[in-house]
Amino acid sequence: MKVFLKAGGQLRQMIKPDVDHYTRKVEIDGEKTVAEILKDISLDPAYVALVYADGKMIDMSYKPSEGQTITLQPPVSGG
Amino acid sequence: MPLSKSELERYHRQLLVDSWDQERLKSARVLVVGTGGLGGISTTYLAAAGVGHLRICDSDTAELSNLNRQILFTTEDIGKPKAALSAKRLSAQNPEIKIEALSDKLTETNAGELASGCDLIIDGLDSHSDRLKLNKASFALNIPFIYGAINEWQGQLSFFNPPRTACLACLMPEELQNPKPTPVFGALPGVIGSLQATLALRYLMTGRAPLSNALLIFHADTMAFETVTFKRRPGCGVCGKTL
Repeated sequence: MKVFLKAGGQLRQMIKPDVDHYTRKVEIDGEKTVAEILKDISLDPAYVALVYADGKMIDMSYKPSEGQTITLQPPVSGG
Repeated sequence: MPLSKSELERYHRQLLVDSWDQERLKSARVLVVGTGGLGGISTTYLAAAGVGHLRICDSDTAELSNLNRQILFTTEDIGKPKAALSAKRLSAQNPEIKIEALSDKLTETNAGELASGCDLIIDGLDSHSDRLKLNKASFALNIPFIYGAINEWQGQLSFFNPPRTACLACLMPEELQNPKPTPVFGALPGVIGSLQATLALRYLMTGRAPLSNALLIFHADTMAFETVTFKRRPGCGVCGKTL
């Protein structure tokens, strides 16, 4: 099953995009949680502030469906 | 709170705006914590719009590396306290309003005191842990909190007013790892700070706030705005017990 991970900010380079500037395609065996997928690609979840899909916030226990895009947001700052 | 002749002239163009309520703005009291890239913009527009009482808090001094984005300060201001500099600039812009300048460092202890008596809290901070302190004060005092933040090409904006909405800790409960320093160019906090001011004015005049339980994300690299919805989190350490 394939899932697309999309990230912006400083997280973009960490996911190693291969589909476009922001997106990486990940092949997974069966159902996996977002946390498990991040582990598979060696991405420390401590760098991920928010996860969402289809316009709704989700958490690391979410199991993406075939072809779904999961967006990861890095911590933001300001000032 | 009636408007003077000079106020009627100063605010003439915005008084033409549908549903504009200048008298409500004049009677409003707003806390803005941080007067840098975000707070410098939001305070500028709130002062210009005639929010009657601005309480601004920033414990930092102006630095040369601030000047790519922090428009309240000039090269001559380096080393001087930001709160006092901001108050001077904003008072010159609009002497009709009251501005309190506080150079206190935000702590768990003083966050509530800073926010006390205010109708609204606006986040102009540069650290998530400080935002969480303001979020706690917002919940404890039942004062709405407008969140704004930036990173590289992305900006975020939301409105929190628990228990009616989720709070910041429902969305992002803890300090997270963030490579330092945060990359930022000036126009991005300009956009997000302007949106914070717009949301604040809308809330102060109508009591209603778009972006309750929703996070607006601005992707400056593609000029796209995206809205992501969320809910209160039952396990939230701040507002979860009221669920």
